[in-house]
Amino acid sequence: MAAPAPSITIHVFGQLREYCRGVTELPVSAHTVRAALEQLERDEPLLYRNLCDETGKVRRHLNVFVNTENVRDLAGVDTTLAAGDVVTFLPAVSGG
Amino acid sequence: MTVADRVVLMIGTRKGAFVAEAAKSRGRFSLRGPFGPGVPVYSTLIDARGTPRLYASSCNPFFGMKVLRSTDMGKTFKETKSAPAFPKDDGRALVNIWAIEPGARKNQLLCGVEPASLFRSDDGGDSWQMVTGISNHEHARKWQPGAGGLCMHTIIRDGQRVHLGISTGGHYLSEDGGETFNASNTGVGAGFNPDPYPEFGQCVHKIARHDAAPGRLYMQNHGGWAEWTGPGGPRPDIGVLRSDDSGHTWRSIAKGLPSDFGFPIVVHPHDPDTVYVVPLEPATRTCPGGAPAVWRSENGGDSWSRLARGLPKKETYFTVLRDAMDIDDLKSPALYFGTTTGQLWVGKDGGEKWECAFEGLPPIHSVKVAVV
Repeated sequence: MAAPAPSITIHVFGQLREYCRGVTELPVSAHTVRAALEQLERDEPLLYRNLCDETGKVRRHLNVFVNTENVRDLAGVDTTLAAGDVVTFLPAVSGG
Repeated sequence: MTVADRVVLMIGTRKGAFVAEAAKSRGRFSLRGPFGPGVPVYSTLIDARGTPRLYASSCNPFFGMKVLRSTDMGKTFKETKSAPAFPKDDGRALVNIWAIEPGARKNQLLCGVEPASLFRSDDGGDSWQMVTGISNHEHARKWQPGAGGLCMHTIIRDGQRVHLGISTGGHYLSEDGGETFNASNTGVGAGFNPDPYPEFGQCVHKIARHDAAPGRLYMQNHGGWAEWTGPGGPRPDIGVLRSDDSGHTWRSIAKGLPSDFGFPIVVHPHDPDTVYVVPLEPATRTCPGGAPAVWRSENGGDSWSRLARGLPKKETYFTVLRDAMDIDDLKSPALYFGTTTGQLWVGKDGGEKWECAFEGLPPIHSVKVAVV
């Protein structure tokens, strides 16, 4: 029997809180970042479409962190999650 | 001041949308905004059908595209319930929204996007459907992006005809109300292609028409190829064109201009023979000689004259982008253009005399005007 998905937290970037009733954190149960995104697509579609484009990819100029690690340096959206992890989506620092 | 006395400008900038407003004398414009602050706005619309609604495309490079709508004449804006989006299995993702135009029916909007595709809303922007006749056209996956991206920037309705301008795709024409489209570029040159007159792939910059001249269209195309010595040879005067058969064929009207390169093209509201362009140096996309001017033809493009009274005479190197010029429809109309250096210029008496209404806005992408 598969292990239950760990409880993690999505930290919501300030500009995006209007898309999820103003909350700063969303509790999610997911084994991976991808699974967390799938849960957001179901439960928080307004927030989800700010994070992912129509093809399901994380938007090009967003960075995804699990705790302090950029998933780019881990396994991308297939990065596994452990109980208590905090997943944060942040705009890449660019432009003027 | 009554409601009927207002001249309203929507100004799309790199840092959000602004709304400017003045009495019909157009003496002094007040300014509101930015709306969607910090986010580029490439397209705006003042939809004056019924109770006016104002729209702006809010093109957030981080969090995706939004459509902003105001129902109180630009005092406040809210996001519509959704923005155009490709079907999930399409494989394309929206990059920018380049055009928002009124559709055939009340509450219907048409939206041109990047990558070049057309969307339609039947509920004022709350839901959107892709128009497959052009978005899935057999040419669509062959179009190439121009310097600004692969954008559908011009949508013109003329009864059952719909004209689209795509950079770089060219001019596409529907004669069945927008169900099916054909490339219609006979006479439209392409400078960056060994074949100077391909079936499609031209870098059309803007198209304009007038209700009082059925079948006539004006086009600002990507010019500046008179000196080309490579394959296909030089192709002078391909930049400013006219059609008299609803866009089936085109001919040059660029003779007499200092450059056939430019972005916007605008027709006088009361005279279809009067047309305005802003010639730019092709290499730099800035004003020839550092001295900006709008050029006007009063005979449908047979000859041109320079309108620069009040504009800087030297050391000025801004660009006027494809949607950054418009003209109001008052008896003596004023032209308006915005610059990439954040100036908003007003040219009363059809551009005879220019004054700078705002000097320090963010770089301006689009300017739309309406008298409401």
